[in-house]
Amino acid sequence: MKTIPPQCPEPEVGPKYWRSLDQVAETPEFRNWVEKEFPAGASELSDPVSRRSFMKLMSASFLLAGFGLTGCRRPEENILPFGKQPEGYIHGKPVFYASSRPTKSGAVPLLVKSMDGRPIKVEGNKQHPDSNGGTDIHSQSSILDLYDPDRSMGYRKVSKDSVGTITRSAATDVLTEISADAAKTQGEGLAILVQRSSSPTRIRVLADLKKKFPKAGLFVHEPVDPQVATIGASAAFGTSVRPYYKLDSAKAIAAFDCDFLGGEEDSAVSIRRFAKGRKTSSASDEMNRLYVVEGIMTVTGINADHRLRSAPSQIVPALAKLASVVFSQVSGFGAFASASSALSASFPAANEKWVTECAADLVAHKGAALVLVGQGQPLVAHVLANAINVALGAVGQTVEYLPADDTAFGSIADLAQQLNSGKVASLVIAGGNPAYDAPADLDFAAAAAKAGKVVRLGYYEDETTKVSGWHLTQAHYLESWGDGRTSDGTLVPVQPLIAPLFDGMTELELLARVAGLDTVRSYDLVRDTFRSEARSLFGITVEFNLEEEWKRFLHDGFMANSAAKPVAVRLVAPNAALLAYNVPAAPAEGRFELVFHRDNSVDDGRFANNGWLQELPDPVGKYTWENVIAVSATTAKALKLKITDPKNQRGTENVDHTLKSNESTVGNDVVTVTIGGREFTGPAWVQPGLADNVIAVALGYGRQIVGRVGRHAGFNAYLARTWAAPYFAAGAVLKILDGKFAHIATTQEHGAMEGRPIVREATLANWKKKEDFARNWDIESHGAFITKTPVSTAGGVEARPAGIYQHPYEHFSSEKGNLTGPRSDRRQILKSEIHQWGMVVDLSSCVGCSACMVACQSENNVPIVGKDQVIKGREMHWLRLDRYYAGGIEDPQVVTQPMMCQHCENAPCESVCPVNATVHDEEGLNVMAYNRCIGTRYCSNNCPYKARRFNFFDYNKRENDYAVAKTDARGSVSWFSTDASLYKGPFGVDKNKSAEWEIIKLGKNPNVTVRMRGVMEKCTMCVQRIEEAKINQKVKAGPSGDVQVPEGTFTTACAQACPAEAIVFGNLIDPESAVSKLRKHQRNYEVLGFLETRPRVTYLARIRNPNPKMPDAYELSFTTKEYETKYEASPFEGHGHGTEHAETGEAPIHGAAAEMKGEQH
Amino acid sequence: MASVAPTAPKVQGPPAELEREPLVLNNRPLSWISDQIAGIAEGKAAKWWWPAFIVSAGGTLMMATMIAYLISTGIGVWGLNQPVAWAWDITNFVFWIGIGHAGTLISAVLFLLRQKWRTSINRSAEAMTLFAVVCAGIFPVVHTGRVWFALYPGYLIPFPNSNGIWPQFRSPLLWDVFAVSTYGTVSLLFWYVGLIPDLGLMRDRAKTKVKKFFYGLFAFGWSGANRHWSNYEKAYLILAGLATPLVLSVHSIVSFDFAVSQLPGWHTTIFPPYFVAGAIFSGFGMVLTLLIPLRSLCKLEDIITKRHIDLMCKVILGTGSMVGYAYIMEFFIAWYGGNPYELDLFIRNRVADPFIFGPLFHVDPAPYWWAYWTMMICNVFTPHLFWFKKLRSSMIFVWIISIFVNIGMWFERFNIIVTSLHRDFMPSNWGMFSPTWVDILTFVGSFALFMTLFLLFMKFLPVIAISEVKGVTPQADPHHPLGGAKGGQH
Repeated sequence: MKTIPPQCPEPEVGPKYWRSLDQVAETPEFRNWVEKEFPAGASELSDPVSRRSFMKLMSASFLLAGFGLTGCRRPEENILPFGKQPEGYIHGKPVFYASSRPTKSGAVPLLVKSMDGRPIKVEGNKQHPDSNGGTDIHSQSSILDLYDPDRSMGYRKVSKDSVGTITRSAATDVLTEISADAAKTQGEGLAILVQRSSSPTRIRVLADLKKKFPKAGLFVHEPVDPQVATIGASAAFGTSVRPYYKLDSAKAIAAFDCDFLGGEEDSAVSIRRFAKGRKTSSASDEMNRLYVVEGIMTVTGINADHRLRSAPSQIVPALAKLASVVFSQVSGFGAFASASSALSASFPAANEKWVTECAADLVAHKGAALVLVGQGQPLVAHVLANAINVALGAVGQTVEYLPADDTAFGSIADLAQQLNSGKVASLVIAGGNPAYDAPADLDFAAAAAKAGKVVRLGYYEDETTKVSGWHLTQAHYLESWGDGRTSDGTLVPVQPLIAPLFDGMTELELLARVAGLDTVRSYDLVRDTFRSEARSLFGITVEFNLEEEWKRFLHDGFMANSAAKPVAVRLVAPNAALLAYNVPAAPAEGRFELVFHRDNSVDDGRFANNGWLQELPDPVGKYTWENVIAVSATTAKALKLKITDPKNQRGTENVDHTLKSNESTVGNDVVTVTIGGREFTGPAWVQPGLADNVIAVALGYGRQIVGRVGRHAGFNAYLARTWAAPYFAAGAVLKILDGKFAHIATTQEHGAMEGRPIVREATLANWKKKEDFARNWDIESHGAFITKTPVSTAGGVEARPAGIYQHPYEHFSSEKGNLTGPRSDRRQILKSEIHQWGMVVDLSSCVGCSACMVACQSENNVPIVGKDQVIKGREMHWLRLDRYYAGGIEDPQVVTQPMMCQHCENAPCESVCPVNATVHDEEGLNVMAYNRCIGTRYCSNNCPYKARRFNFFDYNKRENDYAVAKTDARGSVSWFSTDASLYKGPFGVDKNKSAEWEIIKLGKNPNVTVRMRGVMEKCTMCVQRIEEAKINQKVKAGPSGDVQVPEGTFTTACAQACPAEAIVFGNLIDPESAVSKLRKHQRNYEVLGFLETRPRVTYLARIRNPNPKMPDAYELSFTTKEYETKYEASPFEGHGHGTEHAETGEAPIHGAAAEMKGEQH
Repeated sequence: MASVAPTAPKVQGPPAELEREPLVLNNRPLSWISDQIAGIAEGKAAKWWWPAFIVSAGGTLMMATMIAYLISTGIGVWGLNQPVAWAWDITNFVFWIGIGHAGTLISAVLFLLRQKWRTSINRSAEAMTLFAVVCAGIFPVVHTGRVWFALYPGYLIPFPNSNGIWPQFRSPLLWDVFAVSTYGTVSLLFWYVGLIPDLGLMRDRAKTKVKKFFYGLFAFGWSGANRHWSNYEKAYLILAGLATPLVLSVHSIVSFDFAVSQLPGWHTTIFPPYFVAGAIFSGFGMVLTLLIPLRSLCKLEDIITKRHIDLMCKVILGTGSMVGYAYIMEFFIAWYGGNPYELDLFIRNRVADPFIFGPLFHVDPAPYWWAYWTMMICNVFTPHLFWFKKLRSSMIFVWIISIFVNIGMWFERFNIIVTSLHRDFMPSNWGMFSPTWVDILTFVGSFALFMTLFLLFMKFLPVIAISEVKGVTPQADPHHPLGGAKGGQH
């Protein structure tokens, strides 16, 4: 009970005090004051209206209406609150769904981030047994395809001169009609063309269809078909199997024209497994060794320890040579040995030692060796490779054979023949774009015209739409129900994250409707498949709860334990039919070999309208927005190609001086390549590492009918590709077009490292010689205080010399002493002792696949700028992948390095920004305040890594023609032009009001600002993810106060996407975090460490593993050799005056958080 | 008074061989000086003035259009990129600021050093300074990505806003804001104070009411009283004292834009003195470029004499030698300092030409070798021609060389900025810069703006400090045979 104090009587005399405000408030003076003064102006209002007061009030309100109130207006929008909030939905909180992206040979298991019902980011599904959460560029970029304003937005009826819109039901009626017609004839006259797919539901639906319409024709077409590996394995073992490589168990790998880290299927899985075998924690660790024999310079080739250039047509002899050496050392393969020595007859003697030593190394690693052959090689190569793998004891160790789908398909050539014979009444094209990518000699467009009815399902209205009668809109995989099998055979669902934006149809529905099945909804079809799969997995007798298992399947994104069981295989005895092959003559000058390869970005052309991929530089060539006609330097010289684009040639040691030029603004020669009467025209390009007398062209460009992004990008190499010679063809002629030049848009203009230790490399032997070699380079090897081991003094840490300014994230407490006392008396305190972020990139694991670049672009709303802007050097990628050549121009060694904002502790950008727009936060991040930025660009000038990106235009407002660069009369890009017609500033279309912006903006990450022009931007280390993780941890911690985000809770977009796990991000305060440990690693170094920028991003030096017995063995990597020549010193010896320090293998963690925390008492 | 015949000199002058060359030739009377100089601003404009003005004003309009285009569309209309994020914008800024140095040096430093020859050139040199600062000031403002914020209080101008965010006081760009604005303000005051006696004269000579009113307004009631003179001279001396350190500080601070950074080629301690010497060098170059035509067009040969030109040539020779020394010392230090990145920059980005030095150092020609060698020839070689008296006295020759100096100094800034940026630490960043037509027209337009302002100055104000020139004539010297109150001419 509240005690009420007794009333205190007022004193009769003396001064009167008031005891409470209430008491004062009772006085008449106060009341009067209140009435008069409060509320202000109220008394005036009660006055009768006078002319004067009316004027006063009205003018005041007009003023307010003019200035004040406009700011108070809310945007007009229709708010539709949930009548009932869906269960588990929290506005602004992302939801993750497991799904998968179907590929030609399998599926990529994914975890898709959905924000308020719209998918915005794709990640790998870490829980999947064959995934580490890493992805590839095509999965990452698929978000952009979903929100592509150029995609097909409706069902069309196409006639000769018009395209009319029809309803979905009208479109399904056409399918029903086809099905009814087929029913009358048992499918006679019905042809169905599909793409490769691993979907068990599709296999089932096609089987049903075939059962119903036995006379219907099933055809498959993939311009770049991975199926040859399955066919090869099936032929070699006489049973339907496909190889599944376990690269992580392989210690010696030989890849024959097989770009398993790039262009082959399931590269993310291969990269993960390959990198696992490549990672080393100390110099005594074992490490895999990669031999590559290839014609073009691929991602795999740049990672090779030993690389042999060979035209693709000469791969079979090389492989046969290797086979004969292997079979001579492993008994029991006599028949194969004789066959392979016949095939290797034309193998040049000069390379014999290379192959012999390679074979010896493979045999030495019996049981841990693997031979791979690429999809562009003939069947015989695949058969041979399987035989070699058996001989090397690889089966069960480094390769497993899994059962393969044996649905019988006709080829597109068969289809063309049927079409031409007029037997096809209805052609159903279920996806794909054959009118564009079918072999040129089949003339698919003309053949299709002979069909009675052509119905096609397509994501874009493209070349095939033009030859079809009906165009059916295809749903994006993120809008579809479906399923697939990953390469290990695990069943994964394709789950829609969003209702089809344009009411698209799935392939499954199309096929089911054509088959006239009772069930046509893809959801039902997939569920039915799942039921039977689950039954067979759990066994018929075992009862299971279908609903629960289905839920688990969708939730996990895969069906546990559904991986295929390896098949025990036995080689069939070699026979003439199996190994029959006429080895083509080696290409020679004037009789060039034309090589068609899948493009790294746009694949076979299916991703041609994806801006992220178009602007993603080729991992080797670093060109964007187009394909090139690549030749080797020797061939270029022989052809007298005017190589005025020095971007890749300059700086390497053995370069012929005639190839050099400084006219970087002048374009490359434009050339025409003719083969068998077919031709195409494009820009020439000298590619170091390319085989001589080979002309390499990427497929997928030069699309005729495509959206605004892919329009005018590159040339169409399909024009010269025939059914007989899909991957390489002999007898090409190259003709230089006089006076025509093209300017190639590269993101890296200079290919050599100039002897600078930007990427530090050693061979495994070098590393053993000097364990901390990584910190014994450059100027820092001379300075006792830089990047070297911190010297602990008695009182505290004297890590590095004090900077001029107080360290941005640390300060000294005065607890122990006064601030003027000796430094050692003071205690260093970090501004945040909970989190200090850091990143380490292992250059040994990074293969250069570029998945990180697209992941960053997707996560951070990084705009694309277009070809003209790339030429001007204005690309916006926050994370770039630097590629350096070293050694000669013909056989260079290549290194790659992801480079982004290094989040320097002593950030040079921060002190020069006049407006404080870039500052350090207490957790060690260098952050940008976009609102403060006025765009002086000084920060960029002062950044030694040039990691900052400036919005020279409003890139988000760019309208079209991304792949066009204004050229002058000579065909090279006119520097003089401003290209501003594409960015009209306030005079341009306000995209915010345009209908397509409504689609585009759905794909943006709502947690990241979309930057306007005039603002500098750069890598933020995904600060939005950091903050989200911190908030989540705070919520979780509650009163416990444990707000430190635990290791592994989250990571940056680049690190998450990296299949090689080369990028590691984490908290440096936590001594147990992976990043803290890696920073203490022997190989850890800072790029340009001597500048004392103290980057929070450090690198682990790259290790190569050459075989000393090889003819091209090298003691030092070529970059190291360049360094030693330039600096006249070796990082593997006591360098300069640096011997007396750096003896311990401790971290150069100077100032870094973990160290300091450890030192505090 | 004119009727009074001059009386014979009472005092014997020094012998002819000891007589200094007079600053005003031909023994011109004081009235001639007033008439000749004030006459330019009074009455009808000369025949050449209108065409010159129309062309310049048109050019100024073009510059305004270019800037409007730049601001409305984006910095991308210029040729800038990554890594060359500054190019012509800052080159032009430093170029114009450098030109702005001669005026204050001539007015203030030479005033304090009692160099009387300054009087006939200081007014126009100061005007030139002001106009150059105007031209210079435009570039750093419009080169920002978001101009509207650059001018907003709280971003660059320290302003106690509610978020407690101040500008970054460690940034040399902010120092620029203070340095240039201080320099501009003091230069304007100095120029204006020096103008007051002449404004009084103009007011007294004015024929129309409007002119009388405006000259009178700005003359501050100048009556030529002793007290006015006394105050005026004190104020002038104080301002000269204030302006003198600014001559050194402004360009030192502008040089910090580069020296404070860590880019090889920028990160150099020699920059402050080297920039100041270069600024004076370029400033005198521009003064000569303007004054040589001016003196003949306005018939001022007796006031701006060949001796003036000769003296300015000597200043150019002196500062040109300093600049040349700095170039070579910079190069030496790049080698001696042992920093491979810096040496690479000097050799491979600048010096290596395709003919001599490239082959000598066994490196590819530097992409911008022509810019480097243009600078070296214009700034290091040509000034040394001024060792020859004969060349110094040929007006045409001096004028041509002054143009070379201007070109050379523009290229000096271009070299420092673009050749350092385009190839720095990491070869993967390397790129090239080429200007667009907007770059070029904006730069040309800045010359037009400069000329417009100068032509207007000529049209309305006395281009030479009349009172000061009178003060250094023999007639003004009471001890001179021609001087003293001898009646008659003044």
